Amino acid sequence: MSLTTSFVGLTLQSPVIVASGPASHDVNQIHLAEEHGAGAVVLKTACSDKYEHMRYWPRPRYKLLDWDKQIGGRSKTFSLYSYEQGYSGTLEDYWNFIRVCKEHSSIPIIGSIFADIAEDWRAMALKVEESGADALELDISSPHRPGSLDFEHTFVAAIKAVVKAVHIPVLVKLAAGPDVVHQSLAAQECGADAVTLCNRIRGFDVDIESQQPILHGYFAGIGGPWAKYYTFRHVTEAAQVIKIPISGTGGAMTGEDVIKYILLGASTVQILSVIMVNGWESIRRINKEIEEYMQRKGISSLEGIRGKALQKLTHPDQIIRWSGEPKTGARNVWKFTEHEE
Amino acid sequence: MKSSSGSAGTKYPGLHPLPPPFVKEFPPLAKVVEEKCIACDRCPPVCFFDALLMYDEPSHKYRRVARVVPEYCTGCGLCFEACPVDAIIWVPDVDETARAAPLKPPPLEDQDI
Repeated sequence: MSLTTSFVGLTLQSPVIVASGPASHDVNQIHLAEEHGAGAVVLKTACSDKYEHMRYWPRPRYKLLDWDKQIGGRSKTFSLYSYEQGYSGTLEDYWNFIRVCKEHSSIPIIGSIFADIAEDWRAMALKVEESGADALELDISSPHRPGSLDFEHTFVAAIKAVVKAVHIPVLVKLAAGPDVVHQSLAAQECGADAVTLCNRIRGFDVDIESQQPILHGYFAGIGGPWAKYYTFRHVTEAAQVIKIPISGTGGAMTGEDVIKYILLGASTVQILSVIMVNGWESIRRINKEIEEYMQRKGISSLEGIRGKALQKLTHPDQIIRWSGEPKTGARNVWKFTEHEE
Repeated sequence: MKSSSGSAGTKYPGLHPLPPPFVKEFPPLAKVVEEKCIACDRCPPVCFFDALLMYDEPSHKYRRVARVVPEYCTGCGLCFEACPVDAIIWVPDVDETARAAPLKPPPLEDQDI
């Protein structure tokens, strides 16, 4: 029995990956991730020079919403409201960061970048490859990205340019929403090696006492344990139509959540909020929970259960409807036509 | 930002999470009001940057007290919600002089409406 997972040509010791964010902003955190059993690390996203302002984080930059103050860290329903943006150093720092991460750790290091025009994407991607990253994630769906950039006009060109330029695997991180399936297909068509589903969504909150928006008065990235349910659905939808692997991310707090992602067809699962509120030990705990499950179910490798739950996915037409009463309306049409035949 | 080794914490050691000039100019801004602290141990686990620690303090009502370690505090804001008695405060809320000057705003075309 082993947690070893193969993902975009990389061999990971565990399907659990540390997602891009404050837990992958620093070289020494890579040691911590490795030591606690993470399969890989996606580094904090670096922004192109045009978005230099994103390298300076406002303070405070986080707010825990719906956090149960009485039970503290055992809170199972909360939202992490975050206005943290890109990697806080210059691009030169970022290339060094990748280099040092590679020198000092043995787990795969996945770079992450954000830019606007395809030329910047390409130049940055080449630098990431040159610095020694094992793969590259294109953060086209950051909740902090300017709204003027859209998928069709900006990011398709970016994915194409990057895929053409680099030889390392390219992951595309997509936002949750109605476009997930067609964007996953587009990413696959553009030559991406995997998709990451889904980024944090943009949320907003208001304080009723001061009657003002909270934090800095603008939308922020919002995530938390609740985010897994819509991501499960997006992973399910995408897994049915795309052939490239999926890295699921959003709300995974326990080994159970990771197993659910895998049962729905994800190859790896990225976690972050749980590390932030419960510490690095969470990675070890999640790995242990997955192992216990595998032992209990007699599974030797996660490959055996990947996408298993998809087989039982039932189309709404096939769902058997309640039929204890005479047919009266559209809801019972399916049964009604069956009787006619 | 270029050095790979830095201050030694356990959860968040290494490079300072903010660019150095910014940190020097605007020091981190969370603080524990020690008279209010009930030594409940809820804030240290929430701080991702190891900047909140419990100290033995014989003169305190509960013999222990939480304190912010300024070198590690990034001013992120996670701890405010962790405190059940609101003993953690944001220094600029009470001290006008500690308020950081705003950084240059992004070019207008990048701010999406």
